[in-house]
Amino acid sequence: MRPIMDQTHYDVLELSESGTLQDVERAYRIARATYQPGSSATYSIYTDEDNTEILRRIEEAYMVLSDARLRREYDAKLRRDGQRSGQRTESAIQTFAGASDFAGIPVEQVDFAGAEQEVRPLQQALPPSEPEPLPPRMPALDLVLDDTQAPEDGVFDGPVLRRLRMSHGVEIEEISAITKVNELYLQFIEENRYHDLPAPVYIRGFLREYAKCLNLDPKVVQETYMERYRKRLGEG
Amino acid sequence: MRLTGTPSWLTLKRPGAAQHEVRREQPNAPARPQRVWAIGGGKGGIGKTFLSTNIATVAARTGRRVVLVDADLGGANVHTCLGVRTQARLDLADFFQDRVVDLEKAAIDTPVPGLRLVVGALSSAGTAQTSREQRDALMSALRRMNADVVILDLASGMDRSTLDFFLEADEHCVVTTPEPTSIENAYGFMRAAFFRRLGRLMHDSPVRDLIRESMDQRNDRGIRTPADLLREIERHDSSEGARFRKVIAGFTSRLFLNQVRNSEEIKMGFSIRSVYKKFFGIDLDYTGYVNYDDYVWRSVKERRPLVLAYPQSDGALYIRRIVKKMLEG
Repeated sequence: MRPIMDQTHYDVLELSESGTLQDVERAYRIARATYQPGSSATYSIYTDEDNTEILRRIEEAYMVLSDARLRREYDAKLRRDGQRSGQRTESAIQTFAGASDFAGIPVEQVDFAGAEQEVRPLQQALPPSEPEPLPPRMPALDLVLDDTQAPEDGVFDGPVLRRLRMSHGVEIEEISAITKVNELYLQFIEENRYHDLPAPVYIRGFLREYAKCLNLDPKVVQETYMERYRKRLGEG
Repeated sequence: MRLTGTPSWLTLKRPGAAQHEVRREQPNAPARPQRVWAIGGGKGGIGKTFLSTNIATVAARTGRRVVLVDADLGGANVHTCLGVRTQARLDLADFFQDRVVDLEKAAIDTPVPGLRLVVGALSSAGTAQTSREQRDALMSALRRMNADVVILDLASGMDRSTLDFFLEADEHCVVTTPEPTSIENAYGFMRAAFFRRLGRLMHDSPVRDLIRESMDQRNDRGIRTPADLLREIERHDSSEGARFRKVIAGFTSRLFLNQVRNSEEIKMGFSIRSVYKKFFGIDLDYTGYVNYDDYVWRSVKERRPLVLAYPQSDGALYIRRIVKKMLEG
């Protein structure tokens, strides 16, 4: 427990030293939303001056930790100062280098707490000479219970998809921006408005992209959704 | 991620399922150490009783022996949420006034198989305040009960009884809604609990006066946060500083966010968690949230737990998630 002025950038963003770029982005988004002026989360605890100071530290931390070179230099400084163990995961370095991994993945899905378990000595963590495959996706956010995300009857219909999206804290606009699927169609999918949806071949494509955004198995989502779709239209 | 099916222990039977059916789900539920979960929060009307009742119901449906205790000494009404009439029942007032010593005798069956209820202090208006000895006696009696899980539904506010029940539990669960007033009261509740814990565990400390002084937010030393207090303690006595750190580290809580309406409000839980960490230095587990749902008030009007009355509702699903996480520790 240290005052914010004495905290490392990792402490400020509540981030493990092994956190990937995805983790940094996620932590930054949450921190910025938390301490922004007028935030319901802080107004009864911190003064505006406190919030301004915390936000300044958050921006500073993000600027350093989201830049590969600055982060390496900062890590080296922490080691010299004895404020860190000199350990960092290989996956963190790799994802850092391969920033494209971030695109399309809702950052809220990432739980960096578990990453600490795969800490390796720095010597081993230096960037390999040959590019290696990107690390596996991080486990789901600790809030979201992995195995109960699945619908109880195994069917990913519209309301189930909506609940999953909300549990990841993702707006429908964000899914649309990533998938390039019109918001209206995503809304129809979530509301099971089968008659308003385009031809099945398009629906399957939309579902595939939607599922990927939520880290779900696209095949299972497509199959179960379309099965219900066919059944309901058949009944109608 | 499991993509099909649901763990059998989470499968809810239709309302009205007979007790033997539920028991068949887990015929030989292993003996487990008893755990006490306290469900509190600063503000009234945020759904503490609703959540306590439903969490207890889901836990009982897993085959556990559950006792729900209405520890709202001034406004008990868990019995109504469960559809239990209280006439001529023993209640907590009888325990506090030594009319009953064995709480087993005060635990009554409910319509939910496996769930028993200790009714709040309805029979006496004078039990809203309890002595330390009475509170200790209650907690000891609860831990002797024949149950796997004991759930305390706490009162709103932050009187000593409520804070002590909260602190004595194994799981400290704080309920809030995303509204600013509710969040503010949740912070107030945690601040009060924090200092009460500190006062109890460091009552013999040479820096106890400093701790007491820091409880006044307008203190002359400029101590506003627990981090400020730690700095002051370490300036006076480094070994007491280490003790202080240990006391804080051992104090973890869970957060239930109730009545959320959208994903922005769901994310508020992470913000609250961040503030707890930065301000109090306390690790808060954002265990889950429950959506704002018309089915909730319908179930309350019907005097039936939501998870039984409307098991397919979003709210019921979210409550089952919370319980799963709680039971898995």
